[in-house]
Amino acid sequence: MPEKTLSRRIILNLLFALSLVPSMLDRSKPVATTEDEFVEVNGWILKKSDLA
Amino acid sequence: MIFESYEDFQTASLTPKVAVIGSGPAGITIARKLGTAGIPVAVLEAGGREFSDESQDFYRGTTVGDPYFDLEITRLRYIGGSSNHWAGWCRVLDAHDFKPKAWAPDTGWPIERKDIEPFLPEVHDILELPEFRADVPISDDMRWVQLIKSNAVRFGEKYADELTKSRDIALVLNTSATSLDGDGSKITGAQIWSNGKQAGLLKADYFVVCTGGLENSRLLLWSNQVSNGGVVPHAEALGKYWMEHPTFEGGNAILADYDEFEVDAANEAFFSPSPAAMERLKIMNFGIRLIKTPYPGAKRLIADLACNAPDFAEWAAAKLGQHLRCAAQLYVAWEQAPRANNRIALSASYMDHTGVPRIELHWKKSELERRTILEGLRLFGQTMAEKNLGRVRIDDWLTSGEDYPTNQELAGHHHMGGTRMGTDLAKSVVDADCKVHAMGNLYVGGSSVFCTSGECNPTTTITALACRLGDHLTRKIAV
Repeated sequence: MPEKTLSRRIILNLLFALSLVPSMLDRSKPVATTEDEFVEVNGWILKKSDLA
Repeated sequence: MIFESYEDFQTASLTPKVAVIGSGPAGITIARKLGTAGIPVAVLEAGGREFSDESQDFYRGTTVGDPYFDLEITRLRYIGGSSNHWAGWCRVLDAHDFKPKAWAPDTGWPIERKDIEPFLPEVHDILELPEFRADVPISDDMRWVQLIKSNAVRFGEKYADELTKSRDIALVLNTSATSLDGDGSKITGAQIWSNGKQAGLLKADYFVVCTGGLENSRLLLWSNQVSNGGVVPHAEALGKYWMEHPTFEGGNAILADYDEFEVDAANEAFFSPSPAAMERLKIMNFGIRLIKTPYPGAKRLIADLACNAPDFAEWAAAKLGQHLRCAAQLYVAWEQAPRANNRIALSASYMDHTGVPRIELHWKKSELERRTILEGLRLFGQTMAEKNLGRVRIDDWLTSGEDYPTNQELAGHHHMGGTRMGTDLAKSVVDADCKVHAMGNLYVGGSSVFCTSGECNPTTTITALACRLGDHLTRKIAV
């Protein structure tokens, strides 16, 4: 099986995502509430679809 | 008839069958029921016709535990009692408030809501209320509840003319009972203090203590002490299970469609949980007061929401442009679990001018209540999101487990419990008729007989219970 090489697009996406890590760490992690369709983020009671 | 002192009253020819101590909503309602039936009543009012610092001073006391209002501020000692600073909000305890909660010890009443329902038409006349509308479920978990903001009847003002003209009711101002004398089976008299001095012993066949949700316990504790247990023979619960409605701002909401709820003239709407939701989450009852937020508050809230739910925030921002405001503050008032440790005690060293020990109020909120406010807001938030009615944000102090804020309302000035109704002699003071256990002629009126507090303001239920007690006494005396 030929070795798969990373495309420039994937590398750029990874670098972009890594740059977001510090800011993501600063934000509260979504916490699933008792109902799966709800999440609690920074005190907001949201539907998962709100985060899309 | 209205007398300015006990000395004046003694010059009249009225011999009371019943002595009612206190002229607040409970005392005046009971006296009017008896007077209408032709039963002679003396109503003792410790204060005069107007507020005075001198009279209020008798209400000073101390509080141990959580921060609470000064005890001379949270109630009023003159004709009409605390109806004089009542906000006028009306709602009767729900049927489920009278039932025991398996997850909360010492809940449940010995009566049901249907026992006071026959008196609600009278209550509507007394408090000048329109008909209540039925609550509206907005989900399986939450109800949009009806709370009437009435014109706040001041009982002294409303009934002064009627009492002046009455031949069977004598309202005696500037006159208090410092203690009751009892022999373990009946009250034999009330020690009277009037216009700054002892004024003798008032005798009557029946005594009804209606001095308020703090003072009822104080009077009975002190009377029982000086009578060596002769006033409340089963006193284990006396002063205990005291309750309030703690009230705090707990969050905000962005409303998707604020026409969904009919808000009142003050831009407010009220929500409470369904009994099934309380049982599922094992929490107490609560009321969420939704107040529409002015434009700047809405803008800040939407900016915060945009960080987490950009689509909904964008939609809300568009709404903001159309309607100028579409957000709300959320205040929560909740039912305290009845706990024996929350109690009224007599100070060992702090007396009023008559020599009666002042109140030492021991009061703390419990972990169950902390969970009630947090889970209650989550429940409301989930309902709003589920029905796409809006989104709720819970305040940081709640989600991060911080202490209660100290710069807010604290509670509702609702003083409940202390002489609670029940059948267990160790956990109650009065029976289902509001008669003190084992005493033949001593009754208690007012919110001190509440077993649980529900989430609503107590005055409507106090008045209904007073009508019921007045009716009971009328029939008993007529036999």
